[in-house]
Formats: sequence, structure tokens, C-alpha cells
Amino acid sequence: MSSSSPKSSNSRMHNYEELNVIGTGAYGIVYRARDRTGKIVALKKVRVTLTEDGVPMSTLREISLLKQLNASKHPNVIDLLEVCSIRECEGQLVVFLVFEHLEQDLSDLIVSLPKSGMSPTTIQRLSIELLTGVDFLHSHRIVHRDLKPQNLLISSQGHLKIADFGLAKTYDFEMKLTSVVVTLWYRAPEVLLQQPYNSLVDIWSAGCIIAEMFSRKALFPGASEGNQLDKIFELTGLPSQQNWPKNIPLCRESFRNRPRREPRDLCHQLCSNSNDLLNRMLDFDHRNRPSALECLTHDYFVQEPLL
Amino acid sequence: MPPCWYYEKKELKDTPSMREGISFDTERRYRKEGARFILNCGTSMSLGHNTIATGVVYFHRFYMFHSFKTFPRFVTACCCLLLAGKVEETPKKCRDIIKCAKGILTEDQYFSFGDDPKEEVMTLERILLQTIKFDLQVDHPYHFLLKYAKSLKGDQSKLQKVAQMAWNFVNDSLSTTVCLQWEPEIIAVAMIHLASKLTKFAVVDWIGKQPSQSKWWDMFVSDITIEILEDICHQVLDLYSKNQVQPENSPPQQPPSRSVSPNHNQKVVVPPKLPEEKIEAPIPPAEKPVAPPPHPPLSEAIPQHYNIYPPAGFPANYQQMYPSSFPPPMPPMQPMMNYPPPSQPPPPSYGVPSTARPPVTAPPMPQGGYYGGGNNYRQRYPK
Repeated sequence: MSSSSPKSSNSRMHNYEELNVIGTGAYGIVYRARDRTGKIVALKKVRVTLTEDGVPMSTLREISLLKQLNASKHPNVIDLLEVCSIRECEGQLVVFLVFEHLEQDLSDLIVSLPKSGMSPTTIQRLSIELLTGVDFLHSHRIVHRDLKPQNLLISSQGHLKIADFGLAKTYDFEMKLTSVVVTLWYRAPEVLLQQPYNSLVDIWSAGCIIAEMFSRKALFPGASEGNQLDKIFELTGLPSQQNWPKNIPLCRESFRNRPRREPRDLCHQLCSNSNDLLNRMLDFDHRNRPSALECLTHDYFVQEPLL
Repeated sequence: MPPCWYYEKKELKDTPSMREGISFDTERRYRKEGARFILNCGTSMSLGHNTIATGVVYFHRFYMFHSFKTFPRFVTACCCLLLAGKVEETPKKCRDIIKCAKGILTEDQYFSFGDDPKEEVMTLERILLQTIKFDLQVDHPYHFLLKYAKSLKGDQSKLQKVAQMAWNFVNDSLSTTVCLQWEPEIIAVAMIHLASKLTKFAVVDWIGKQPSQSKWWDMFVSDITIEILEDICHQVLDLYSKNQVQPENSPPQQPPSRSVSPNHNQKVVVPPKLPEEKIEAPIPPAEKPVAPPPHPPLSEAIPQHYNIYPPAGFPANYQQMYPSSFPPPMPPMQPMMNYPPPSQPPPPSYGVPSTARPPVTAPPMPQGGYYGGGNNYRQRYPK
């Protein structure tokens, strides 16, 4: 049976008209689309390979987590408007996650800043909003895994909303099939080293993002996985032989030996409180990183920003 | 706008099936049969009460959008159980569910599964998911029941009996459409209320009683009148009434794949010894059954009709269906918001590939807190 080509079946899906591609995230393509009332939404497409017993359990679990998340709305997390699906071809189901969409994101905001940069109070407020949103996701057992300025949308009132999360397990499978070029700059070392990881990867990314708000440039702008790790070791120092993961193709000796430094050495704009917070958030060993909730009790957030 | 899964009584009398000529009583029977089947099938596959109840709620919701004429109830029921199993992380193979169904159903009933039963069920999964709008997580009265029962004061053995009977009534309530009308908290209250009436155990004191509370449930739900509770009780008690339509057999239906696509091969014809299709004959609107007279108050109604425990008129094997699970042990409390626990290795994440780590049991999601904890029932779901 010949089915219509993927392109044509995508261009109109249910009540949504696709307008353009917003982003090719780590885990799939997100389209800007218009719903029947003319409202602009973000349409995230996830192709699910059906098993012998239909839709995989992990996909169903994750969708129901996302739905639950939405039942208790959070001001710093983008709204999931609808989940729907079409069958594209035999053995596959295409699930569409329809999210609220905002036109501006944090990377746009940072680029448009004047030379004087972002005001200390704005950095502090956006950092609180980011960590509050991350804490909300984590308390619902959702790990974002791809936090970056492009995924942090800014509302017209200037508030931050985390976007582009969900279906991590489903994507895992898909990632092996697609070779999407993904930014590595916010990726935690344990992910780059292919180690088991958990919600604390998001704390790493949040740390990188907070530093970027101060300096208006990425903290670790790596060009490849190896180069990304090298840039990270500039801050954390090269891990000892003991702490170097076993059974990975990457060889410790191929990296320069470096001493441990402070975030302020790489990002001069940091105040002493933000320096201390980022020092904890950007710990090579994820077990030493604070949770999002713990971050929010840090002195940086309870004292006046000092420069 | 999240979908609303609660309906007014008049909406329950204007369903897709009824618009296609199926009578209210017949639809009620189909729903009951489907629910009983999910209960039987789930129990014999040793699925837990939550999985079974989730499957039944999917079933009831599905037929608010589709007709029993288009989608045969036992195929739908199997699909609901399959999906509920996966969502509640107690998955069963489709093949095994069908095998179990074959053992439970009569030959005529099993006819609706067609030549390729598995394909029939699998095809339906996508339609089911779309119909229930991926609202997979469903909350049930069970844990509210246990929580409420624990707060009541009085003779412990009597209270135990009340809780046990209320538990049975919650199971039975799945065969009605009360889950399409009321939140699980309210159904739990109603079933405890019913059980306490039937055991003549008057609840006069409870833990944390305030002078302003005249009924124990004022502690848990607000704006719930005795009329609402008794209406729910009567809907459940009606299950045991002998007046309900109980035909020997329902006409078998065609598998959905055939009834949906007209060009399908025509070799399957209705088998010869079918009963007359009088149940499904279209009924002109004027002849729709008039509303039954209002129920008498519970206190008068019960002693005459219903012989308490186990509910009269119920299948003889009723008690064996849930042999040793009453009341089930309270689930242990799990820390939830402490994420990750301060001094322990971090909890498993959903992002960990299964090969990278041994599977770890994640603490269950908190139940029931997702509606913001408000207790302004019904008004939380604006139409």
C-alpha cells in the first residue's frame, strides 16, 4: 500500500497548519503552527515505533507524565495544549505534542542586549524562574536533558518559560536513528562521557545558562565532543584517573592536564555569590551538585546582587 | 482547555450509541457487560484493582464518543485493558488478553473479534488513545476510601466491615457510569456512606472532627449534599435490581475493521442462530423510555430490596473474584518532593537507558494532587 509522502501528510495535521520549522532540537523537530482559531502554537513531532503490543509502555508513561504536569500548571513551564496522533505508515505512530508558543527566547534576548549587558536584578530573577521551573519538572520526575537558551522562552511580560521537554525515553530510541546536529555547549560531562545520568544534568545546563546571562557569551562553546570536554576541564580540572569512567573509548591521556578553577576565572562578570553558586552547579561529579530546590536557597538568591 | 470527563445525566442519555438507535437500557447493559468483562479478565490475569479500574474508565469514556454499533464492546474492553496495563506499568501481552477473553466469552460474543483478533485489538489502540485524548492517568476511589475509612472512629471490626463492603461497592460502581459523573473522592464517600447504612453503623465521630462539621465527609469534600450521595448509591444498587434488562445473549457484532470499511470482504455473514435484533432496533424519539420514578430515600429502599452483604443478586463467584485483597494494605508513604534525596545517590531518571543501569523502582507519582487540591467539585471542570 502506498501512503502519501511524509512531507505532505505533515503539512496539515488535524487542526493545525504548519508554518515553519522553529528548531531541530536534540530529540526531534518542532514546527511553528497555527491552530483553527489562528493562535500560534509549537508543534512537536515524535515518531513512535510500535511494538508487538502497540504503543510502547515508556512512551505512554511519559505522555501521561506530561499530561499530569499540565494539570498543575506552572508559570515557568510552557503549557502543553494537546496531544494527538496520526498513523503515518505501518508499524509507526506519529505523536504530536502541541505546546503554547512564544516568539522570543532567551538567546534572542541575550543577543539584543546593549553593551552594558543584562541588569543584575534581571539575571537574578530569570535565574530564579529557570530554577523554579526546573524544580517543578524534577518534582514531577521529568528530566529536561536539553536545557539551552533557545529552549527558554520569554513572555511579553519578560517571564521565562521552559519549553521543549518530554518523551526522553522515546527520543533516546529515535536519536540512534537520526543524526541531528545538536549544540553541545550546555551538555553535562557525564552525558558527554556516556555515563549514567539523572536530573542533575539539568542543573549543569542551568549553570551554563546563568553564566551566559552574565557574560553574554557561552561558557563552554565546544566545537566537538572532545573539545567540549576540554573546555569543561578548563573549569573543573582534568578528573583524576580514579574518577575517569571505565569502559569508554575516550582516553584520559588525550586531554590536557589542567588544575581546577573557579567560574569567575572564566566569566569575569560573576559576583562572589553567583560565583559560589555556579561553582556548585558546575561540579564535574554530579553527586556534588545541588538540586534545583537547594540552588534556590543559595545566598545568591537571598542577598542583593553585588557586582 | 483540558478535556472534561464528567457529564450531566442528560448527556448520558444522548450518547453516540443512542443516537444510532440503541436504547438507554441496552447501552447500560453493554457498559455493564464490558466493565464486568474487564474485571473478570483482569482478575484472572492477576492485574491489580487500579489497572482494572483504569481500563474500565477508558471503556466508559470511549463510548461517550463512539457507538456500540461501530465498536464491539468486548474488543474495546480488551484494548482498554491492554492500554491500562501499560499505563499502570503492569503490562500484559495482547495475545494473552485475547486468550483470556476467549476463555471468558461465549462463542457468539467472541465472534466480534473476527479472523485476526490481535490485529482487531491493536488497530483499535490508536483510536482509543485519540478518543481518550491521551488522558491516560486516571484516579480511582480506592485510596480515598482507605484514607477516609481510617479517619472514622468507632468499633474497629465494624469499621473494617464497612471499609470492606465499600470496597466491593466501588468495584461494582465501575459497572455503572458514576465514574463519568463524579470525581473519585465523591464516589468513595458515597460508597462508604452506603456501606455504613447497610451495616447500620452510624458514623458519629471521626479524627479531627470540627464543630462546624455535621457529616464526616465535610472534612474531605465540600458542597456535597446527601441527595447527591444517595443518587450515586442508587445507581450502584440498581445493578442488583432484577428489573434490569438481562437478555440471554446480545447479537454479536462485526469486527470494527469490517463495519468501518464497507469494501471489506463480505464472507462473514451473521451466523444463523442469532436472536432477533430487537434490542438494537432504532427507536423513534417519542418512544424513548420515560424517566423512572424517583428513588425512595436509601433508608427505606435498602431493607426491602437488598440483602446486605454480599450484595444480593450478584454472581455466586463474586467473592472469589477478590479473594484476599480486602482491604489491601495501605501503600507505604514515599518521599516525593525530596528530589533527589540529600545524602543518597540521585534517583533514577527517566532518561537512563535500560542497559546502563539496573532498573530501579521509581517512587509512585503522588496521586490526586494534580487538580490543585481544590474541593469545589464539578465547578472545577467548566463546560
